[in-house]
Amino acid sequence: MKFSGTVQINAPRDRVWAFVIDPDQVGQCGPGVESIEVVDESHFKATAKVGIGFISARFNVNMEFAELAAPDRAVIKAHGQAPGSAVDATAEMALSGPAEGPTTMDWSADVQLAGTMASLGARLIEGTANKMIGQTFDCMRAKLEA
Amino acid sequence: MTTELQTTPEVGGMGHSVKRKEDPRFIRGKGEYIDDVNLPGQLWLDIARSPYAHARIKSIDSSEALKIPGVLAVITGKDLEGYKLHWMPTLAGDMQMVLPTDTVMYQSQEVAAVIATSRYAAADGVAAVMVDYEPLPVVVDPHKALEAGAPVLRPDRGEGKQTNHIWHWESGDKAAADAALANAEVRVAEDIYIPRIHVASIETCGCVADWDPVRQQLTLHMTSQAPHAIRTVVALVAAGAGLPIYEHNIRVKTHDIGGGFGGKVPVYPGYVLAVAASFLIGKPVKWIEDRSENLQADSFARDYHIHAELGATKDGKITGLKVKTIADHGYTDAAADPSKFPAGLFNVITGSYDFPDAFVEVDGVYTNKPPGGVAYRCSFRVTEAVHAIERMVDILAHEIGKDPAQLRMENFIKPEQFPYTTPTGWEYDSGDYGRALKLALDRIGYDDLRREQAEKRARGELMGIGISSFTEIVGAGPSHTFDILGLKMFDSCEIRVHPTGKVLARIGVQTQGQGHETTFAQIIAEELGFPVADIKIEYGDTDTAPYGLGTYASRSTPVAGAATAVAARKIRDKARKIAAHLLEASEDDLEWTNGKFSVKGSPDKVKTIQEIAFAAYTNHPQGMEAGLEAVDYYDPPNLTFPFGSYICVVDIDKGTGEVKVRRFVAVDDCGNIINPMIVDGQIHGGLTMGLAPALYEAITYDENGNNLAGTFMDYLLPTAVETPAWELDKTITPSPHHPIGAKGVGESATVGAPPAIANAVVDALWHLGVRNIDIPITPQKVWAILHEKGVS
Repeated sequence: MKFSGTVQINAPRDRVWAFVIDPDQVGQCGPGVESIEVVDESHFKATAKVGIGFISARFNVNMEFAELAAPDRAVIKAHGQAPGSAVDATAEMALSGPAEGPTTMDWSADVQLAGTMASLGARLIEGTANKMIGQTFDCMRAKLEA
Repeated sequence: MTTELQTTPEVGGMGHSVKRKEDPRFIRGKGEYIDDVNLPGQLWLDIARSPYAHARIKSIDSSEALKIPGVLAVITGKDLEGYKLHWMPTLAGDMQMVLPTDTVMYQSQEVAAVIATSRYAAADGVAAVMVDYEPLPVVVDPHKALEAGAPVLRPDRGEGKQTNHIWHWESGDKAAADAALANAEVRVAEDIYIPRIHVASIETCGCVADWDPVRQQLTLHMTSQAPHAIRTVVALVAAGAGLPIYEHNIRVKTHDIGGGFGGKVPVYPGYVLAVAASFLIGKPVKWIEDRSENLQADSFARDYHIHAELGATKDGKITGLKVKTIADHGYTDAAADPSKFPAGLFNVITGSYDFPDAFVEVDGVYTNKPPGGVAYRCSFRVTEAVHAIERMVDILAHEIGKDPAQLRMENFIKPEQFPYTTPTGWEYDSGDYGRALKLALDRIGYDDLRREQAEKRARGELMGIGISSFTEIVGAGPSHTFDILGLKMFDSCEIRVHPTGKVLARIGVQTQGQGHETTFAQIIAEELGFPVADIKIEYGDTDTAPYGLGTYASRSTPVAGAATAVAARKIRDKARKIAAHLLEASEDDLEWTNGKFSVKGSPDKVKTIQEIAFAAYTNHPQGMEAGLEAVDYYDPPNLTFPFGSYICVVDIDKGTGEVKVRRFVAVDDCGNIINPMIVDGQIHGGLTMGLAPALYEAITYDENGNNLAGTFMDYLLPTAVETPAWELDKTITPSPHHPIGAKGVGESATVGAPPAIANAVVDALWHLGVRNIDIPITPQKVWAILHEKGVS
């Protein structure tokens, strides 16, 4: 499944950049994220509870900044597992716009869902994913524009 | 049409609608299904399954699972490898993983088994088993599986077999069929896909394996359509693993079964794991699948990609048929087909029609899916064959502008041509196809419907009429040709008549809803005159029942039913000797009528079968063995060929694309009928199970190999709301070679119904340029077509 979009954030570019590459900060905006553990500069772990329709599962996710080109481009790879389900994702983000903001974020994600979640939730995945993505950006905007 | 009844309603022999003897316990909730079996000290087994359709297992960490209170053990493929139990043979002679040691091959494949003291603890344990996977490229499309460079899914198969191609099978005369098609005045070709479907029986699979280490006895309570074959397979697998579990110490017991339909023929890893766990721990171990496991991991049916070409003269006389098929078997060939028939009896695809030349070829292919190829209420790929030929005949009729009923009538094999040898080598036993179709046409008022259709079409309304005149092939089978894993496909019955004139009969076939406790008693009542009420039928316990190959592919009545009649006749032969002794008459002077022997010319000199039974134990002739028992292992001389003609009327909603089955007339001919009520019930159920794949059911996979129909929300079983009022009728054309002239009926309707419905839908849309719609014909598919054609 591929998702992409563009978000406008009324904040200076370096502030947006600092926010999105800080697992502790950006992690607070992931729906269902229960904990974040920074392993090293480019690796971190998260646990997140995800519900699709009538099923839910707690995923343990390993994430890695595969590319980190300050101050405007990052690629994150993620591999997560829950009992009977797995997710593998690659997300790309590019920032643009005046240094003082507003900042434009172009993003895309390729998500491969496998197992129970994909099988039993198939009809609902896209809607749920779009909702979760919307929540994430709403949260980021709220925190950055405050 | 009625058959002349030979017995009174009180006796209840052939042709009486005797109420089912099994129903009192079912309607009172007193049936005993596998999940009702609970043994003292029983443990629970649950299975951790793969999220990936193809992945390498890097590691399995059981430590967290083992910390959960009640979890006793976690079994992995590496553990089983030590006992050589990580792979097991399939019924088709391929190999299947019990648990993987390094690679998983389909989403929801078994990866580890958790043994615990309760079902809940076992489930918690499953959730805590951590498996680290490395995803591998997934092969979902069987055509792509055959392309050069496709990942080889089964490297274990060794040198020379490093390909996803499993086998090639062909039947008929290729050169003759090529010539017939080349010379045909009219030639129609079509690609027809019969999607993967699931039997979705209401009871899922399960077992309680009970190894008694003191008595060295394994009792396996399980959901199986073929308990004796299971016993032998368990013994062979145990021998291969060097385990001291011998066939005389294995007892397979089936209890009541909540639907089989072919899905309970194979051996699933869960059964083997439960046996292994019970053997290792020395306690009973229970495994019960949940619904989603059943829908995602058990064997599937169909999944045939068919290309068919039909040749004919310009006025519609069929001259030849060529069929090329790709069969998607998933990651292993676990089909339960007879061993000489990897594509089942698919070459019955010449159907009800008389033409000289046909060639059929099928290639089996591996993909990253669970095993496919079980026969879902279908005698070994006959549903696929019937769907293809009935679609092709309809396309031909429409193509040349001839009425589809008329075209069928002109091409049918005529009654006087039986026994009829088809171009692919089957010898049809008997049939009168024209009579069945004529009756169906009359019952539905065909000419009026065609007039109505023309009027509606003029008004822009969409109405279609579809016909299916199918020939089934059931009753496998003669031992010279039919076996599964080398076991010949005979079947059996043992009858014991007790001194007081009551009867116990044990049969080699299983019942999973067919009503064998009633119908097999009726066969004995017919042959011996004992009332059905006095006859008890037992099955499904390998310690007591005679060896048989089980119930599937409509084989119970054709094979075990024949064994029952023959065993009863052996008893009647002995009864005649005893009667002659009691009546002091020559055997040749005795007449048998209505359960009695009488002396010719002296009708008052009579001995009833009950009196004879008593004498068999109290006053038998000197020199004769006491008792009144017989056993028969029946080896059928040929298969049987039930047939029928179905006509379906559909109306299509132009706004939504929804297909409504307005009427459906089903004329069946299954030879002589044992119990008309049960036959009607079989046909009602079968038609509904034919409606299901025609309009609703399909198992599909996404590009990553995830099963997209893992619950009943996505796998749509029709309910009473979707099901039309079936209109049934029948003709009776007995099988000439079967002892009671019966042919079997369990699967006719499932086989015959889908093309009638598909033909009706295409008939409604042909004038718009529609030639074929693959089943299931969902509203979305029809709506998209209407949208494309500018109809609204």
